[in-house]
Parts: sequence; structure tokens; C-alpha cells
Amino acid sequence: MRETALWVRPLRHLFLTALCSLIAFPFFWMITSSLKTNDEIWSVPPVLWPEEPLWGTFLAAWQAAPFGQYLLNSIMVAAVIVLLQMVNSAMMAYALTHMHFPFRGALFAIIIVTYMLPASATYLPAYVILSELNLIDTYAGLIISNAVSVFAIFLVRQAFLQLPKELAEAAKIDGAPHWRILWTIMVPLTRSTFVVMGLITFIGMYNNYFWPSLITKSPELYLVSAGLRSFFVEGGAYGMNWPLIMAGSTITILPLLILFLFAQRLLMKGVSLSFGVNK
Amino acid sequence: MNWRKKLGEPAAYGYLLPALIPLALFWIAPMLYVVYLGFTDWDFMSPDKTWMGLENYRELLQNEDFYKSLRVTLLFGLGTVLPVMAGGLVLASLLQGKLRGKAIYQAIVFSPWITTTVAVSIVWSWIFEPRVGLANGVLRMLGFDGVEWLQSSVWALPAVIIVSVWQSMGWAMVFYLAALQQVPQDLKEAAAIDGAGRLRTFWNVTIPLISPTSFFLFIILWIQSFQAYDQISIMTQGGPAGSTRTLLYLYYQSAFERFDVGEASAVALVLVVLSAAFSLLSGWVSRRFVHYTN
Repeated sequence: MRETALWVRPLRHLFLTALCSLIAFPFFWMITSSLKTNDEIWSVPPVLWPEEPLWGTFLAAWQAAPFGQYLLNSIMVAAVIVLLQMVNSAMMAYALTHMHFPFRGALFAIIIVTYMLPASATYLPAYVILSELNLIDTYAGLIISNAVSVFAIFLVRQAFLQLPKELAEAAKIDGAPHWRILWTIMVPLTRSTFVVMGLITFIGMYNNYFWPSLITKSPELYLVSAGLRSFFVEGGAYGMNWPLIMAGSTITILPLLILFLFAQRLLMKGVSLSFGVNK
Repeated sequence: MNWRKKLGEPAAYGYLLPALIPLALFWIAPMLYVVYLGFTDWDFMSPDKTWMGLENYRELLQNEDFYKSLRVTLLFGLGTVLPVMAGGLVLASLLQGKLRGKAIYQAIVFSPWITTTVAVSIVWSWIFEPRVGLANGVLRMLGFDGVEWLQSSVWALPAVIIVSVWQSMGWAMVFYLAALQQVPQDLKEAAAIDGAGRLRTFWNVTIPLISPTSFFLFIILWIQSFQAYDQISIMTQGGPAGSTRTLLYLYYQSAFERFDVGEASAVALVLVVLSAAFSLLSGWVSRRFVHYTN
């Protein structure tokens, strides 16, 4: 193979640095805009970095809207949903792979079809169903409507199928009950699937906007996206106070960026295995 | 004894129900219900739903807004799918092999995908601010006139497309990174020995070998493009003058702003059919055109 010319490598770095700066620029712009005075933010040409960064804007934004509450809401709801999905998809995947019942094939076919359907098409009828159950504007409604993920069932089933069949059979011969085979053999052996799935679901639920914004009406129940939006529209008076709004946006995405810092490799591996389906 | 065999293990039902109940209640029942609602005239409030037959669909087909939405949906798809794939492929090729700082570059490119769409859409709204926003600042620096971006019925859709491409490129890159790793080194070397240059090798060897990934991304990105909502809701709310009102946004507006359940359900069905068409098409095309190795 030909030798790579000496200038190729620095050129590649130059190119990548330029591209990455471009891609990261909106994040930089969000932070620097939070730190500007009102004069600086409206100045032409734009100021790159404020003369005296106003770090207090973050505190002001934190106090101007209940961001602490929104963050907590999102994190809690996402965590509960992740937990529920892990448990019920493990159970269903176990039944699909290791138990006998009629219409097993049909059930799996239904799951595949559901997987391909656009989730948003169900929002209107699911909204009607939730209101029949009197669960609009409650976390119970938000959580049970998100309690199952065909994507999770799919992924866990795949992982279970890759385990050697003898494993479960040997345990069965030893007299181990189903629950023990599932929770002490299968799940621990496929834990990486559960971690990846949990991470992707958590992020998806944390960011989720469309469906939760239909279900939650009381501001104290808002997840962070809906909360930020109402701050943008009302509190921020639609673009009159951009530094405050930019600070609010920073607060919203900060937990994710921190999570990403620790779980980058896992997450990027995870998306190539799969892609999320969220309500 | 026979009936017991037919019913299977009783325990199986216990294992199925925790997932089956929400699945039936919030996925399967709604899908059937929305088909029914599409044949009725309802406003969420009145106690009875009047059977309308195909009236909602007939009206939809005579509604100019529907065709406009369909056009916007397809334009949005065209504007996002191919640029996301091209960007993802270029980034993945640059980020292949041994490279110092690779993980950092990859993290930066990927980060828009995990960040809250509502938050980054707000940031982009500020970038697209016509008077002092960064986008116009750059345009003016390059000697162009600024444009009205989100307030212009010409530029609002491109603005939303830019945000969506920016958010998804890193996602596509991850798939291409995995695909490029699978391209056998000796094939590239053989091409090089035959005197093919880097670009030629890329075009004639690499591109065909990664076509299954490209094809998969093409289908998934199209289906995802039908689902874009957050950025539209924050940046333009379908406007100005419906220039960013996709079918999904039309569905949202008719259901939750105009309470026209019948029309909304009909639009939902169109979306389902479009997505299903892409899924089915994928099976057919992949058998005929996509190059699979081994």
C-alpha cells in the first residue's frame, strides 16, 4: 500500500477541528450568550465573548422558573419508566424465548408491526383512552402510557437468543423455577444490553416533549422540555430576554452532557445496535 | 390433556401481562381506535360520534392545506435525509483508523443527538434572529444580505432543516463508523495496486460495500423525518403561512388546536401508510439492489 503523504495527517486534523468547531458552535454560543449583558447581546457585529461574563445569569434563570423542579420531574419520570421497561421487557422476552403458549408467533409479529408504526399516530387515540381512565395530567398516566417499549422487548429478546440454549435447560433440569432462571442467569448475562437500553431510554424520556406536553397541564408536573418551552414563551417573553433563556437552555442540557461525558462509548455503541422508539 | 397442551404453560401469561397490558392499551388499541375515529366526526366533547364513512378522507383530498403539508413533509425529508447521510459518511471516513483525539472528535459530532431538542431549537432560534443573530452575521460577513429566516416563508423550512441535519449527522456517523470498519483492508489494497487513487477506491470499493448501511439509514431517516415535531413546535409552529407545517404538525393542529378528531385521525392514517410504505419498500429494494457481502 502506498505511503500516506506526510501532510495528510495534519490536514485531516485541521479539517476535523474546523468541522467540530462548527458543530459545537451552537453550544458555545448558548453559553456565551447567557453571560452577556443586554447591550452586548444586541450589538452588531456580535460579541464573541462578553467583556465581563455575568455568571449570575444562571442563578437568575434558576430562580426565574422552577428549573430544579423540572429537572427532578424529568429525571424521576425517566428513571421509573426505564425500570418498568426493563422488568416487563425482560419478562416478555423470556416468555417469547423460553416458554410455550399459543399464538407466540402472532404475538411477536404484532410486536414487529408496532415497532414500525409511527408512535405519534397513537397520540390522539391514546389521549382519549387516558382521559377515559381519568389519567390526564397525572404522572400515573404519563408513566403507564410509556411503560412498554417494543424496542426494548426486541432488543432483550435478541440478547436472550444469543445465549446458549443449554444454559436455561440445565437450570430447568436442576429444578430452578422460571423466575430464578430469568433473574439470576439470563439477566445478569445480558446486563450490557440492559445498560445500553436503559441509557438510551433514559435520555429519550428526559428529552421527551410531544407526548408529555399533551398529558401534563399543571406547570408543577412539567418535564424539563415543556418547562423550558413555557419559560421561553412566557417567562422569557419571546426573545426579549435572551441571556436568561440561553441560561435556561444550558441548565436543561447540562445533566445530559455530564452523563454523556461518562457514558460516551457505551452510548455510541448502543445506538448502532438499535434506535429508540419513544412515546 | 389436550386442552392443557393447547393453552401452554399457565406461568407464561404471568410473564406476558406486565408488558402486554400497556402494549394493548396504548399501542394496539389506539391504532385500531384511530382507524375508527377517522370515519367519524368528533370534537373530544360531544357524547356521540357520528359515522361519516369516507367523508374525512374525501375532504382531506380536497383540502389544499393537506397537499401543502404533504409537500412540506417530502421537502423536509429530502432536505434532511441525504445531507445527514453525506455528512455522516464524510465524518466517519475522516474519523476512521488511527487518529489522535478520535474519541473527542466523535463525542463532539455526536453530542447534538443526545441534547434536548427543545433546548437546542431555542438556541437556534436565537442564532436565526434576523437583526443580530449569528446566521445573518455570518451571511453579512460573507457579503450577502441577511434573510428573515424563521419569519420568512421561504427560509423557515431551510432553517428547520439545518437544525435537524446538525442534530442527526453524528447519529448517522456512528452507523457508518461501524460499517467502514467492516470493509476488508485487502480489498482496498488490491484496488490501490491496480492503480486506483484514494477517491476512486472510496467510490468503487468502499461505497458499494457499505451500501446495506446506507440503505438502512435512508429508510430509517425518512421514517424519522415524518416524526419531526419538537424543532418545528419551538422554532416556527408550522408557520409562516404553513411553510413548515408537516403532516405531523397538521395532525397536531387539527387534533389539539382545532379539535377536529376526524381530520386528525385521517392525517394520522396517511402518516402510518407513508411509514409502512417505506418499511415495505425497504424489503423489496434490499432484495433487488443492495449489495450484500458473504
